[in-house]
Amino acid sequence: MTKDWVASVNRIFRTISGSKRVDKVPFLAFAGEQMICRVTGKTVRELYSSPKVYANAIITTFEFLNTDSINVPSAYAGPSEALAFAEANNKLDAIKWFDYQPLMCKQGEICKTEEDIEKLEIPDHGMNNLWKNSLLAAKMINEKTKFPQVISLSIWSVVQELRGIEAYKDMRRNPDLLLQLCEKIYESQMDIYENWLEIVGMPPNVFIAGYAFNRHMMSFKDSMRYEGQFIKRMMEKIKVPFMLHNCGTSPYFTEVVKEINFIAVNGSHPLDIEYWIDFKKKYPKIVIIGANIDVSREMLTGTPSDVEKKVKENILNLAPGGRYICCPVCSLPWGVPLPNILAIPKAIEKYGHYPIKIS
Amino acid sequence: MKEEESLEKLKNAILKGDPNKAIDFVNKSIKMGIKIEDILNKAILKGAEEAGNLYENGEYFLPDLLMTGDAINVATETLKNTLNEKSEIKSRGTILIGTVQGDIHDIGKSLVISLLRGQGFEVVDLGSDVPPEEFLRKAKEIKPNLIGLSGLMTMSISKMVETVNLLKNENIKSRIIIGGGILSKESCEMIGADDFAKDGWEGIKKINNLICM
Repeated sequence: MTKDWVASVNRIFRTISGSKRVDKVPFLAFAGEQMICRVTGKTVRELYSSPKVYANAIITTFEFLNTDSINVPSAYAGPSEALAFAEANNKLDAIKWFDYQPLMCKQGEICKTEEDIEKLEIPDHGMNNLWKNSLLAAKMINEKTKFPQVISLSIWSVVQELRGIEAYKDMRRNPDLLLQLCEKIYESQMDIYENWLEIVGMPPNVFIAGYAFNRHMMSFKDSMRYEGQFIKRMMEKIKVPFMLHNCGTSPYFTEVVKEINFIAVNGSHPLDIEYWIDFKKKYPKIVIIGANIDVSREMLTGTPSDVEKKVKENILNLAPGGRYICCPVCSLPWGVPLPNILAIPKAIEKYGHYPIKIS
Repeated sequence: MKEEESLEKLKNAILKGDPNKAIDFVNKSIKMGIKIEDILNKAILKGAEEAGNLYENGEYFLPDLLMTGDAINVATETLKNTLNEKSEIKSRGTILIGTVQGDIHDIGKSLVISLLRGQGFEVVDLGSDVPPEEFLRKAKEIKPNLIGLSGLMTMSISKMVETVNLLKNENIKSRIIIGGGILSKESCEMIGADDFAKDGWEGIKKINNLICM
């Protein structure tokens, strides 16, 4: 380990709590398995094979990227949860493995029929190798870096994996069946939480991958019905602050924060900085993790100087007053030039020290 | 029942995404001797158009479009089967579509396919996790008017670059559109596609534009 993680822990969690004792804007990045493979040269199967190998590879990668955050990408309620369901229901054919990127689920294969939903078995995450190793890796990262690992949970992300496009038709032709599936996924998510408590310990926050909260997918009423109500139930049981992530193109951030008490929001859209300036004015106590450093624009096709300009714009508009974490809008793709990623912490160092003095 | 009334009821069945009623009113319209062209344009496609308008106005959402798409597809199939005159419903063009290698997400692609078929396009779906060579092989075989590359993940971008390069190097003349929420004008230019769409409905509109150009 080469990094002073204690400073990063303070930077991130003080920002989240709204403390004034923050030295500079924190840098958070979503570096998935693909980036970890790229930095360490290991395959996904090698990473997943041992908690120690996995934890060390994650630490190496996040230290290389010079982020203030660190997390275990597979301990996330998307593909890994689909794998757990596939194993519990003898449907491993639905899972496709890759060498240098995370496994994926053939959407809709696990819950192809109504009967599949009715008979769906809830996975025991303590018995699932990938989950077990991911949680043990999270524990090791906690111990080595003292960065308390944040748990990520979701309902709709898992619905999409298990039921695929049929879920959207169920909303109109068989909503009770869809709710039955959501209930089972909720139960499974709570099993992840129980295992997390036992292996990793109490998380400081819950990061909700709230994919339903997107106008392109469904009405706000439906997003509350199929995801929101379950998050409210999670909040009643897990007494830590919740953060919301949505990577859809038209998120319901302004609507959802009126209904559910999220401490932070993170999205890949809108890309218009004015939206976020307005959001900060309306909801000054909600932390913005973002806001518009685009992984498919300046990060992918631009130069470090283009990235610096965007970071400067974000800091200038969103950092004064605190409660801002600088973060590219989505997970870092394979082709992003590494100098463009490293330009973010450099720009933060230049412009992001509090009090913000750029004009 | 008058001709206008039958067409109106068929249009409403499409709009409400009711496949059974759509089949019923297609059959009734045929029995009444209404011209196929009118059944298609004044009821089925009109219903699709109105559903699109409702989506853009924020009154319809993805589930409604999918239900409408299903109703359009069964209505069109019924029309073809009953008359056994496939040539009367001319294809508006052939589209080759698939999710690029390394990505197996297909919700957006499925929506696009459903609505394109309903609008009279011939769609060849290569499925998901499609290698660039497979796009090329099929493009050479069917010579589509347009090729659609879909991908949800940020990591799909590099495979889109590879696929478009291969198609262009092999002199495939079809127009190419890429689809995925993470795409931008800049990444579209880098990939070398003719256009991009961030969601399924935008994809439908842009495909219509590209084919008509």
